[in-house]
Amino acid sequence: MNAEFRTIGKPRPQLEGPAKVSGRAQYTHDLTLPNMLHGAILRSPHPHARIRSVDLSRARAMPGVVAAVCGTDFPDLKYVNAGPAFADRFAMARDKVRFTGEEVAAVAAQTPVQAQVALAAITVDYEILPAVYDVETALTPDAPAIHEKSDLPRNVAQESIADFDGVEQAFGDAAHIFDATFEHGIVAPICLETNGVLADYDTETGDLTLWAPSQAPFFVRKEIAHVMDLPLEKVHAKSVVIGGGFGGKSQSPEPIAIAAFLSITTGRPVKILLNRQEEFLSGKSDHAKKMRVRSAVAADGTILGRHTEFWVDNGAYTHMGPAYISAVRQRTCNLYRVGAAGFDGKLVHTNKVSGGSYRGMGSPQIIWAIETQIDEIAERLGKDKLEYRIEIANRPGDRTPQGWEIGTCALAECLEEAGRRIGWAEKKDAMPPNRGIGFAAMINPSVGVLYAEGNFACVSIDLLEDGRLKVGTQSADCGTSQNTVMGQFVAEELGLDADVIDVLHMDTDETPPDLGSAASRVTFVSGNAAIKTAKSFRAEIASRLASHWDVPADEIDFTDGIASYKDDNARRLTLAEIAALEGPFRVEDRYDIDIPRPDPKTGYGHYAATYGFGAQAVELEVDPATGQVTVHKIVVVQDIGRVINPLALEGQMQGGIVQGIGMALREELVFNDGVPVNASLITYKAPRIQDTPEIDIAFIETDDPTGPYGAKAGGEHSINPTPAAIANALAQATGTRFRKLPIKASDILQATAVKPSPDLKPWKRPYNLEVASARALYPAILYPGLRKLGGKLGRKPAAKTEYDYIRPKNLQEALRALAAQDRKAKVMAGGTDLQVGLRQGVYDADTLVDIADLEELRGIAIAADKVIVGAATTIAEITERDDIRAIHPMLTEGLSRIATAQIRNVATIAGDLSQEKRCWFFRSGAQCYKAGGMTCPCYAVLGDNRHHSILGAGRCAAPCVADAAPILTALDAVVVVAGAGGERRIPMQDFYIWSGKTRVAENEIIRAIEIPRDHVPVSQRFEKVAGWDGDFADASVAVNLSWDGPKLAAARISLGAVAPLPVRATRTEAALLADGLSDTAIEAAAGLTVEGALPLSDNAYKARLLVNLTERAIKNSLPE
Amino acid sequence: MPTHLEVNGQARETENDPAIPLAVYLREELELRGTKIGCGNGECGACTVVMDGRAVCSCLVPLGRTEGRRIETIESLGDLNNLHPIQRKLVERGAFQCGFCTPGIVMSLIALLRRNPRPDDAKIRTALQGNLCRCSGYVKLLEAIGEIVREGLHER
Repeated sequence: MNAEFRTIGKPRPQLEGPAKVSGRAQYTHDLTLPNMLHGAILRSPHPHARIRSVDLSRARAMPGVVAAVCGTDFPDLKYVNAGPAFADRFAMARDKVRFTGEEVAAVAAQTPVQAQVALAAITVDYEILPAVYDVETALTPDAPAIHEKSDLPRNVAQESIADFDGVEQAFGDAAHIFDATFEHGIVAPICLETNGVLADYDTETGDLTLWAPSQAPFFVRKEIAHVMDLPLEKVHAKSVVIGGGFGGKSQSPEPIAIAAFLSITTGRPVKILLNRQEEFLSGKSDHAKKMRVRSAVAADGTILGRHTEFWVDNGAYTHMGPAYISAVRQRTCNLYRVGAAGFDGKLVHTNKVSGGSYRGMGSPQIIWAIETQIDEIAERLGKDKLEYRIEIANRPGDRTPQGWEIGTCALAECLEEAGRRIGWAEKKDAMPPNRGIGFAAMINPSVGVLYAEGNFACVSIDLLEDGRLKVGTQSADCGTSQNTVMGQFVAEELGLDADVIDVLHMDTDETPPDLGSAASRVTFVSGNAAIKTAKSFRAEIASRLASHWDVPADEIDFTDGIASYKDDNARRLTLAEIAALEGPFRVEDRYDIDIPRPDPKTGYGHYAATYGFGAQAVELEVDPATGQVTVHKIVVVQDIGRVINPLALEGQMQGGIVQGIGMALREELVFNDGVPVNASLITYKAPRIQDTPEIDIAFIETDDPTGPYGAKAGGEHSINPTPAAIANALAQATGTRFRKLPIKASDILQATAVKPSPDLKPWKRPYNLEVASARALYPAILYPGLRKLGGKLGRKPAAKTEYDYIRPKNLQEALRALAAQDRKAKVMAGGTDLQVGLRQGVYDADTLVDIADLEELRGIAIAADKVIVGAATTIAEITERDDIRAIHPMLTEGLSRIATAQIRNVATIAGDLSQEKRCWFFRSGAQCYKAGGMTCPCYAVLGDNRHHSILGAGRCAAPCVADAAPILTALDAVVVVAGAGGERRIPMQDFYIWSGKTRVAENEIIRAIEIPRDHVPVSQRFEKVAGWDGDFADASVAVNLSWDGPKLAAARISLGAVAPLPVRATRTEAALLADGLSDTAIEAAAGLTVEGALPLSDNAYKARLLVNLTERAIKNSLPE
Repeated sequence: MPTHLEVNGQARETENDPAIPLAVYLREELELRGTKIGCGNGECGACTVVMDGRAVCSCLVPLGRTEGRRIETIESLGDLNNLHPIQRKLVERGAFQCGFCTPGIVMSLIALLRRNPRPDDAKIRTALQGNLCRCSGYVKLLEAIGEIVREGLHER
């Protein structure tokens, strides 16, 4: 295919590939300048408060500190990114903070640690204001006003209402009306590179130079010049390698202005890097929204009209909200044929981090809602869900209710091909239970007219001295290969090998203006500009040579990199020769999207030069016992115009689809009082390599007349239909429609269980009466009271950035170090939890005593009656031993499912048992009962408690998630502990006092774990369910059965992650011994595990999960 | 007390604070900035280096613990103009996009292939579960690794 092209349509590896894969690429994190300072930002611990005063004096006196600034030091100017009408945020908070994590002050110091330490010396006097975290409450008349001045109703940032072609009339004429409400949470972009900036202000010239990973240096320059009150030409953005964008870097992130101001203040370069938690707390993620979709449908399936209402959570400040609203509207009525359309959208402020843009800009979720309804229409009308879609698909020449004029369009063909590739015709009537196939499609503008001042792109081409070309684009390549593609366009147009072309991106001095890489625009808009510039470059060569050669310019040919005049051998020059003759020169040109803008009020009107289309088909399977979903295959068929670089485009498809899987099934920020409590890459469950399914990609190339070499846009195409196709496949697999994204395994389990809820018999545990009464009193009395008394959400100064490290030579020396009175020492083995926990403020120590390499604590010994594992033996060392696998297969299998390979290589068995408790409130700095004592509440009672205990929880509901705990309990292991006075032995059964609290004293060290060996046949099984393979368990079961011939002699079953301690399932064990091992007996015995359970609001699924998992573990443990 | 270690075949002695993460020592003192820090908490794998033959998150290894140990970083493989065959394959097959996770993935892969030159798909996925990549969806990475294994590129 594409034999007529030199480089178009050919797989080209990315230009930056060798630099990236060899570790030589320069990301912002990697840059340094002489005399550079390090900045750090103090963030608000309150979601809504007035700032009475900020005292920087102590911070300024701290070691290494060169400057400390707060909001009132900055120019009195607000960001204008969403348009002057929406300007509502200063570069740093001045009068008020409106979300937890907002920037309140900053310091610049000689080292990063000095800067961090100095933050603690800043005193801010806040007047705490009532806060609001959800849209519904924010719209009530009594809600606190987040921004005071507005012509709109309280907390409404924008209203977007329209009616095209009389939508209400359509509902009057309809034979069927479909009406459903959908909602979804906030997805975070999760760029592997966190935001950062290096700013360098030249006090003599007044020039401010910025290195920052931004999708749009154009915006960075404009915003920073504005909020720093500098002339635009004095602000320079430079080229860097960017570690992922996905919309998360499409604006000017706040650290840039702060670093710029610190550099202006100090006259020295200042670098600020956000850590991962700050990235979650303050970075721009997606918006959450609620959507009500109503469709008016005629008897034959024609969609007469659709009305969509949506409520978008804007967060504290307006950044991308208005653009988001516009993008969401566009996906409601332009994909399939719809007669009339109406919208009622509201953008609503809450005291949460501001919404930004994430790949697809709300499209994947609105498409999910629409496509769910399309499925339901087909079901109601008895139509095949694929054929119905093909029937109502837009065709070339259609005009949508919003006024979009559809040009090239292969939507119907994409759907047909997707159906063929997934095998719909063969499979649809022969679907095995728990399996489903789902379809969804999408439309994407190529490329939308975004801003009056931004519907263009410029490209430069420099002829260099050696005859190579340098293409310049201000758009930023975040890893998508767009630089490579730009080079391909120029190479193709000039008939050159792509190898002779370099591409420089971002640099606002060296490259001409371009809005940036967002909204899938670069291939189309900047690509058209590249081709236009290449044509101008060719004309420039002709015009220059015309005077040298004294021939007419239009008779000079330029082919395959050689300029020539007819067959005249004397008039024939390569690019290098032209460069030698003329010297290096530059050509720039500009491409404008030349179509009228839609009506600014209603949004009606043709919107883009052309539109791209695509269809997806998903086949998946649900595990009915756990609710977990296995995506077997995703087919994606795209009408994306002509494919320019299949290698890069396939990568865009695959990457977007896997992000879409995350969005559909797992990803969301979980908030407590406006703070994301899952601000880590364990608890925020982005897809890992285990989650990647088979992805089958096909392109139906349409050769669009408006596109560069016929290409359309592509970056967002892949993610847009993925959640919808998955949800529709899940509906077939489970018979249930889900109205909330992500559709978690726990939701599936609860919605689809065939068995009735397990009988929990909570009265079997008298202690539950006390707990239940306390919980009943929580909302009105206990929680507010305890919050006032002792609880405050926020970073506690206990978080440690500095501590001492000592390495004792032997166990005795280690014990002496622990006993030292002048320091607060703590033993560290693998340190995978301790070092993280110190920064989270969940451990308290000023000295770490590293025992990882102590001989006395290492190694594995197999004795006649027991296996002895040194406490500091790593998980990997244990799981690699064949002899251990032969004796206790459950130990090997269970431990090899802990965390990830890198963690297992250093984490130790005793460390797994001793890790601090995993509760996302506790770990995210809540001043909770566990952290702050009696006067503080447990946040899990009223907060999101999906991971918490269902059994035996009292004042603290955190579960014990150490996988080794239930395994070693079921194996009757003994923990050998060394102290100053000698050794003592603690049976696993008694090892824990509470979650994260063991019977090992602060001045003791676990020396070994002894695991008894039965010389009778045993059979074992460990089952675990976790959010992702490597995450902490939501429930686990360890089964250890001993046999006397064919007769069950003993059963030891222990449960993990459902209670603060590993629980022995003694009633289940007794039932197995008494009632045998028939399927019904096992089922009944498994049901006993939850006797006495008292679930919280969000974790009732754990009861069902535990019963199913126990049943599965017992059955799987039985000998063949 | 100084720490003695070997980095990419070269003996090193440092007076740096033994409590700091190995990743910070590599990046700041040795200026080996190919090792990236994506989270600092051992959750993303971008900082993966090989320590005594095993893949570890260098953000969670205190410098003091590297006493007497051998560390290998991405810089121990090919450079810009002379890539290791594994690196060349990853580039050619489009196995990464933004590249921030890539040095860590390469080092996880090196550690895996040294222990097990013929891993199956399940082993490959288990070994790379700790390396988060947001761009690629892992598909081209898995394809490239399949070819690396089939062609025995790590042995060259």
